[in-house]
Amino acid sequence: MSNNWLEKNTFHYSDFKDLFHLVEEKQKKNLQISLCLPTLNEEKTIAKEIIIMKSELMTRYPLLDEIVVIDSGSTDNTVEIAKSFGADVYDANEILPHLEKFKGKGENLWKALYITKGDIIVYIDADIKNIHHRFAYGLIGPLLLYDQIKYAKAFYDRPIAIGKNKIRPTGGGRVTELVIRPLFSLFFPELTQILQPLSGEYAGYRKVLEKLPFPIGYGVETSMILDIYEKWGLDVIAQVDLDRRIHRNQDTKALGRMSFAILKTFINRQKRSGLIDLKNNLYDEIIQYNLVDSQYQPAVSKIIGFERPPMIEIPEYCEKFNIKN
Amino acid sequence: MDKFLENLPTLVDEIKALKDIIITNIVLIGQTPAPTFKEKRRGILFMERMAEFGVDEVTTDGYRNPIGIIRGTSSDKPPIFVVAHLDTFFERDIVFNYTIKENTITGPGILDNSLGVGVLLSLPIIFKKLGLTFESDIVLAGTIQSIGKGNLRGVRHLLKTWTTPIRGSICIEGVDLGRLNYFSDGMIRGEISCSISEEKGAMHTDTPNAILILNEVINGIMRLSLPQRPRSRVVVGKISGGANHGKIAYHATLGFEIRSDSYKMVKSTYNEIKDIVDGIGHENEVDLNIKTISNLKSARLKFNHPLVKSTAAILKSLGIKPTSKSTESALSIFLSRKIPSVTLGITYGEHHYTNKATMEIEPMFKGIAQLVGVIKAIDSGVCDEQ
Repeated sequence: MSNNWLEKNTFHYSDFKDLFHLVEEKQKKNLQISLCLPTLNEEKTIAKEIIIMKSELMTRYPLLDEIVVIDSGSTDNTVEIAKSFGADVYDANEILPHLEKFKGKGENLWKALYITKGDIIVYIDADIKNIHHRFAYGLIGPLLLYDQIKYAKAFYDRPIAIGKNKIRPTGGGRVTELVIRPLFSLFFPELTQILQPLSGEYAGYRKVLEKLPFPIGYGVETSMILDIYEKWGLDVIAQVDLDRRIHRNQDTKALGRMSFAILKTFINRQKRSGLIDLKNNLYDEIIQYNLVDSQYQPAVSKIIGFERPPMIEIPEYCEKFNIKN
Repeated sequence: MDKFLENLPTLVDEIKALKDIIITNIVLIGQTPAPTFKEKRRGILFMERMAEFGVDEVTTDGYRNPIGIIRGTSSDKPPIFVVAHLDTFFERDIVFNYTIKENTITGPGILDNSLGVGVLLSLPIIFKKLGLTFESDIVLAGTIQSIGKGNLRGVRHLLKTWTTPIRGSICIEGVDLGRLNYFSDGMIRGEISCSISEEKGAMHTDTPNAILILNEVINGIMRLSLPQRPRSRVVVGKISGGANHGKIAYHATLGFEIRSDSYKMVKSTYNEIKDIVDGIGHENEVDLNIKTISNLKSARLKFNHPLVKSTAAILKSLGIKPTSKSTESALSIFLSRKIPSVTLGITYGEHHYTNKATMEIEPMFKGIAQLVGVIKAIDSGVCDEQ
């Protein structure tokens, strides 16, 4: 396996810190850019994300044209706070309301395609404690400055040094290292060059994103990479070192559920493509055990793994964006 | 100038229109750790932001205080200094992530003094928005090494090496809105340490205990007669020592501060404490030492100084009630160099020195308006008359 892609398509956010130049490129290409923040009970971090992005990338440099919050039914003050700081806030259930309702990050990202107007859509998790506008401009940069790149993905904190004799740990989180990387190594070694495939921050052209199916839950990051890789190849993807990201830590059981969803997404895709053959359907439940009063009791979580079809197949979307299939 | 002051309350809303940028500056500064003596990263950020905001000159002095200069229209008017100290009480190893809610921002060091620095950084863009120009150059300085053992070295150095006259200055502190400081007491902060070598301790019939030795020192300090005029006092503010509950303490330290509106009295009290320390150390045959951590001479403007009177009027025009107390900060360094100066607070807050320090957002806009008003007042000559 060649490391060509890693060398060519890996960037550092500081490569794009000339915001004036990015704005010029955006205007030259006559593009609009939307930032989408999917939320579920993020009252501690949402205001800071909105205010910093607005200040730096709307008021000072008009790189973003809108900031959209898609909420999955927060029970804290997320919605009120986001509105008070000037974001456009939507309840995911009220977007395309005639469709069956689901709850999950992937669902919000998919519905954001319908709500936003940008030619480029930037997705940033709303739980980042050390938010900085580099999280957005670092991802927008490669899309504006390199014509072949259509999708940019973040990685953090543990950059690989590509120069001679400089190898540092490239690890992602636990799920990346224990689930995704082994899977990629087994099936698509080329994809292991993506250092943190599960990072929650990425940006892409609408023309690409609208053609992708979206798992409603955790599998969305994995599926995006696999589908883009399959349809357009690795060269349209870039990865950007965004330095440090501080966010909530998840416990092992939550990571187990995440891994379950990702494995299911992965296996279903390979089954569809004929790469693997399963005699039976996969189950929809992950079973974890808790010790309660000296007895082990199962805790069963249902993870259906439903996927939304590519947005371009939704008639309302085609009508709104004047697309004729 | 009078017309400008009349319109000052209307500026509050115009400043508020820059809320996003001002809060972003406060948060980006606050989330960059800057314990005293380790302010480099915050200093670099300060200069980067100043440069981005189109300040005419961005530089550091020889002591690495970051400085932005907005050039004035007159070549013969001395500059006006606006300063805020960069350093905070918190070490790097704590979590510096701030939380913004509808009307508050919470995070370590925000009140002292990330808020002040964030507002200082926002001034160039506020001046642009308000269409303000000045005759004097405006020197915006984030001073390093202010707190504790820093002993205001940054601002001392800045002024020592600034060879030309300074027209007037404003020191920005995060809280509280309404403070109008124009005098500072004389002050010495000191540390008394007691050490008993464990070997020597074993030779004693009655092994001395470092904490009890310091207790004797405290008793000695308490017996000092301090005059009501000049107003003087000693605060025993910190004590630490010992290893565990059941073991004699071999090491202990005591932190204290002497304050008076007469520096002569401060020095005389310090000498008395030194005599107490020397005596107790000698009699108990222990290693008992006193040293000065920081010191300031007393300095003041009169209440009827035009800068004080104008500043009070500006605060009142914005519906802010001025309150005045002594402050031991950069102000005293400016005043001791005969530079007319005041210290102003920007907003209200709570939990000052904890990780949950919280500032109120809404009053901040008035706090910034008063700052603009006082800079404009100095530029119109209120410090030139005396």
